[in-house]
Amino acid sequence: MTNPVTRDRRHFEDLHIGEVIDLGHIRVTREMIVTFAREFDPFPFHLDEAAAKASLLGGLASSGWQTGGLSLRMLVDSFLNKVASAGGLGFTDLKWKNPVMVGDTIGGTVTIADLRRSESHPQWGIMSLDFDVRNQKEQPVLTMRLANLVETREPGDQA
Amino acid sequence: MTRWFEDIVIDEVFSLGSHTFNADEIIRFATLYDPQYFHLDAAAAQHSHFGGLVASGWHTVSVGHRKMVDALFAEEERLRGEGREPGVSGPSPGVNAMEFKVPVRPGDTVSYELVVTGKRASNSIPGWGLLFNKLTATNQRGELVYRADLVGFSKLRDYVMPLRLRLLLALTKMPLIGPLLKRGS
Repeated sequence: MTNPVTRDRRHFEDLHIGEVIDLGHIRVTREMIVTFAREFDPFPFHLDEAAAKASLLGGLASSGWQTGGLSLRMLVDSFLNKVASAGGLGFTDLKWKNPVMVGDTIGGTVTIADLRRSESHPQWGIMSLDFDVRNQKEQPVLTMRLANLVETREPGDQA
Repeated sequence: MTRWFEDIVIDEVFSLGSHTFNADEIIRFATLYDPQYFHLDAAAAQHSHFGGLVASGWHTVSVGHRKMVDALFAEEERLRGEGREPGVSGPSPGVNAMEFKVPVRPGDTVSYELVVTGKRASNSIPGWGLLFNKLTATNQRGELVYRADLVGFSKLRDYVMPLRLRLLLALTKMPLIGPLLKRGS
């Protein structure tokens, strides 16, 4: 039951705890922030400069869900699309540490924190990933632990 | 919700409404934020264990957030209609847990519901309270799509800032002392 899409990608057995993935960078523009906010998070502090200045954020900032989405995008481009990923299971301890303001460039690292085989599904392993996303001033922006399924090359064998 | 912290009732359930996902919006979201083949390409997705196109979990969660914001705005309008001053909600500090259960496919209708499970005054931001909310998303077959433990801010109505905090706040705005105080906090 080989999946032709993921056949030549890294599988569960090819991954190592402690491996650090460089996420690269994304520059966050006003256009990106307002477009996302209109569809998913239309609070005045994500849409309008004056309202944003008066809020806890202190200026026009991206929705936290957009910051998370952009972090995920960087992970997909730099890592998940090179791995036999079978989708996300969820995450824990998501923290929005500092707002992402117009013109900020975000980047950072993701570390493989844990790898274990699924007990119920031998065709999968569960990979835990620790996000450390920062802005251009090296201030932390977002941290979380994401759980993602990865196809195993040899179902049932011990890695 | 858009109420003063003091008016928020634990265990109160808010129905946030529903959203029907179509293939175009699933692909549009995935192109920007989660471009994995099972979120992008219906033909390639056949080879995945999903057996077809599914929405990014981040997409279903973002729509859930939109539903929550719409409910806040509706509540604000309702309170104003009754001649009452609505409360103020602020940005969220984070999410304690998020579990994706059943995937969302094109044509699925997802209903969202929020329950306030706890609240306490914020230790770090005077005048604001923390709300702990449980959000569940369910599809048209009654299957759980995801559940989340969310944290939000809500402003206190009856808050008077203590004199020492007011002094400290005034000091942080002074050019020489301010940066030192902020570094120390």
